[in-house]
This record gives sequence, C-alpha cells and structure tokens, in this order.
Amino acid sequence: MAAQTPVSDDIFPKHTDKTFALVELVRGESAMVDKGPDDTVFAFPIVLLWEIVLSLGITLAIFLFSLIKQAPLEEIANPFVTTDPAKAPWYFIGLQELLEHMHPVVAGVLIPGALVLFLVVLPYIDHAREDAGIWFASARGKRIVVWTAIYAAVAMTAYIVLDNAFSLRELLRSVAPQWIAQGLLPAAIIALIVILPALALWRLKANTRQVMLALFTVMIVSAVVLTVSGFLFRGPGFKLYLPWQMPNGYNPWDGL
Amino acid sequence: MTRSSLLTPLTESRVWRSFFRHGLPDNPLDRSLVMTTNIFFHLHPVKVSRPSLRWSYSFGLGIISAILFALLVWSGLLLMFYYAPTIERAYPTMKDIQMTVPLGQFTRNMHRWAAHAMVLAVILHMARVFYTGAFKPPREFNWIVGVVLLLLTLGASFTGYLLPWDQLAYWAITVGTNIASYAPVAGPMMRELLLGGTEVGQNSLLRFYTLHVAILPLLIGLLVSLHIWRVRKDGGLAARRNSEVK
Ligand code: HEM
Repeated sequence: MAAQTPVSDDIFPKHTDKTFALVELVRGESAMVDKGPDDTVFAFPIVLLWEIVLSLGITLAIFLFSLIKQAPLEEIANPFVTTDPAKAPWYFIGLQELLEHMHPVVAGVLIPGALVLFLVVLPYIDHAREDAGIWFASARGKRIVVWTAIYAAVAMTAYIVLDNAFSLRELLRSVAPQWIAQGLLPAAIIALIVILPALALWRLKANTRQVMLALFTVMIVSAVVLTVSGFLFRGPGFKLYLPWQMPNGYNPWDGL
Repeated sequence: MTRSSLLTPLTESRVWRSFFRHGLPDNPLDRSLVMTTNIFFHLHPVKVSRPSLRWSYSFGLGIISAILFALLVWSGLLLMFYYAPTIERAYPTMKDIQMTVPLGQFTRNMHRWAAHAMVLAVILHMARVFYTGAFKPPREFNWIVGVVLLLLTLGASFTGYLLPWDQLAYWAITVGTNIASYAPVAGPMMRELLLGGTEVGQNSLLRFYTLHVAILPLLIGLLVSLHIWRVRKDGGLAARRNSEVK
C-alpha cells in the first residue's frame, strides 16, 4: 500500500487512495424514492404466523362443512342404466352447456384450446411492467372490468336463452349444411361476443393492458354463466328448468 | 424462578440440542439464517415487502390452494388404507368407509369438499394474479407454471371423481371423456388411452386410480415447490403501493 496521501476537497482529486469519484450529476428518481431506506420486513415470524393462522382456519372450515354435509354416494355404477340428467363435474359443466349449442369440435376442442392458448401467451402480449402489482392497473381499468363483466353476463345469458328458444340447429335444418348451422355460425357468435368489447376499447385508444382486462373478464364471466346454467338450470334431458322447479325430484346440488 | 431458567435444563439437554441447533431467532442475522438453513422454510424469502403482506393484495389464495392440497394428501392417504381400485370392490369399500370405518364418512367428506374447494381456490388465485398484473415480466414463467398447475388440479379432481364407482361417477366420467373425444383424429385415441378401452371399465378405473394417487399428486407437489420457490426468485410478490403509480 502506498503511503497515505491527504484527501483534498477537490471534486476530482488526483493521487488519492480513494477508489471512487464523483463523475457526473444526473437528474432522475432512484428505485427507492419515497420508500425510505427499506420497505421490507423479515419473513420470520410474520409470514409463518400467517401461514399457521390460514392453515388452522381453512382446516377448521373444511372440518365444519364435513360435519354438516355428507359426500354423495349413489347406486353402484351400471353401464346399462343411464342417469338422467348425466352431468360432467361442475368445473367441466360449462363445456357441456356449450355442447348443447354447437358442434362438439367447436365446444369441446376449439374453445377450450383457445382458452388455454390465451392463458399461455398472455404474459408475452401484455408485458408492460409499469402496472404490475396493482389491482386493475388504474381507475379506468377498474371501470372497464366492471362494465365488461356486466356486458358478458348479459350477452352470454341472452345467447343461452335465445339459442334455447330458437335453436339454430332447427331453424337452419333445411337451409344450411350442418357445419355452418352448428359450427361456423355459433363459433362466429361467440367470437363476436368476445371481440366486441376489445374492438370498442381499441377505438377508445385503450392500451394493451386494458384490452386484456376486458378479454379476461369476458372469459371468466362467460365461464361462470355457462357453469351456473349447466349446473343449476339443467334438469332431466339436460333441458332448462328453474332450479326450484326441477321435475322428478331432481336436485342439482346432489351431484357435487 | 423465571420461565427461561425453568426451561434451561430441557433446552440445554443433548437431545434437544440435536433437534434444534438455535434458540428462537430474535435478531436480523438469525432471522435470515432460519429461512436459508431450514429445509421447510427455504422456499420462503428472507425478507418480504410490506405491500405484499396486505391481505387485500393476494387474499392469501395461493397459500390457501397449497393448504387445501396438503389436506387432500392427508385425507387421501387415510382413504387409501381401505379403498380397492377394482370394479368388484371399489363400491363396496366405499360403503365400508362410510358405514364401518371409524370416522370414515367424515374423512371422505373432508377429501371431497377440500377437492372442490381447491379447484375453486386455484381459479380464484389465477384471477387474482391476472387482475393484479402479477404475470408480467419477470413472472411470465411462473404464470405458465401456474397454468400447468391449474390443468393438473382439474385432472386430479376429475380422476378422483370416478373412484367411488357409483352412478354419479360413472356417468360424469362418461360425459367428460366424451367431450375429449371430439378432437379430430387425436380425440378418440386420447379417450382410449385414458380409459384403456372404448368404454369406462376396469382398465379405466385402474388408470384413473394410478393417475389420482400417484402421478398427478407427485407432479403437483413438484410444481408447487417450483412455483413458490420461483415467487422468491422473481423478487417476491409484485405488490406495490398505489401511491407509487402516477
Ligand atoms: C396448485 C395450484 C397453485 C398453488 C398451490 C399456488 C401457490 C402460490 C403461492 C403460495 C403464491 C404466493 C402468493 C399468494 O399466496 O398468492 C403464488 C403466486 C403466484 N402464482 Fe400461484 N399457485 C397455484 C396456481 C397458480 C395458477 C393457476 C396461476 C396462473 C395461471 C398461478 C400464478 C402465480 C403467479 C404469477 C404468482 C406471483 C404473484 C405475484 O407476484 O403477485 N398460480 N402461487
């Protein structure tokens, strides 16, 4: 080590042992602006306490529910006696509801395939980091979610009820081939319901995040409407009934 | 005598010291070390940001999904002691579980309701992650791990649905696998691969059982570990204060 040279008050001192220097002054914010020195706490013990409390709470809730409601067990499986209605488990019943309205390739393959594809590519389309970690990104984002949720609930319910009353299959039986009446046309209607809010937002100069908020909301609300319709409103013959007016003493909740 | 001096002979004992090398971590260094040196804690970060601890940010839904999964493993293992996956014995063993096994019906209830709850919790967790924009870089990969976890959770629930071998199970799986068979070309093949035949039968029961008690839970366990570890590696939860945004 060289002998100590006195540190001068110059901004750019020569011959010192200092290994740093003030090179330039820049305007701007550091990542820690307004956050104090550190906005974090030790995970021990707060996070572990949270986990213990949640574990106890969830276990207790499942415990209590299991005391009051029994898991169903019907007659032994019989391949020769079909149950009426025969329903898929609730998380797939939205697809079964769709099957009532269109060709199986559209309802059972194209639509679920498109949904999974949408989820996988989503982070690569909507990748602006600024609004990560904030619910609905902004006040406008929140309004968009509320309005598209209302829109999707109304549009999907209308589609189910109208298609049930005036079945495309029956109306176009002698006019158009099956792949149009059952495939192309319903697929186009669903696509329109999904794309309409995105188009409207695009005209209103919404950003990618806001268009994605609308698309995801349409997806999830439609799934809820289809699931509720299939689970609660479909009775014997998979026909639509009011849940409290099911014939043959059928109770949709027995199938959980 | 104080409480600590009462406990000292115990906590200083050779046996206790072999189990717990440290006392309760009460300083920054120990609080860091407890997370990095303990196998059960090392998926956690050492420090977490304050905004991410707010209940109204995550609603704890990811943790809740993991807890429900643990409950399912526990109650499922208990059921495995009695259940037999053959079409002659499956239904009678279910009856046994309900009628004669101590707390059998209760264990079965726990398993079924926790299963429904887990599907619901995972879907809600996904919606929470979407609406908070927490899938954005650098968290894209973890989002995709999440999508796979969603599919695996649905698969685990669906394969379990057949096991009671009652009318409800049989026809739900018949309807469900029919939906899969509509894919052109691959559909019928996939259905046959899953069912081990053209109809729901003994082969299907065995395949569903193997998927349900071994393959899918192992995959879920593995991916959940990856997923939670990755949350730490991506810098913890994405949560920020609203005031940080202009
Ligand atoms: C078995 C199912 C799952 C389990 C056990 C699980 C567990 C967790 C846990 C414990 C966290 C920490 C934060 C929290 O509790 O919310 C988390 C965060 C996260 N999860 Fe999941 N998850 C599951 C499924 C999913 C799914 C289906 C997705 C999306 C498709 C997903 C995407 C994410 C992402 C991106 C984060 C980071 C969130 C942030 O930074 O705010 N996970 N997950």
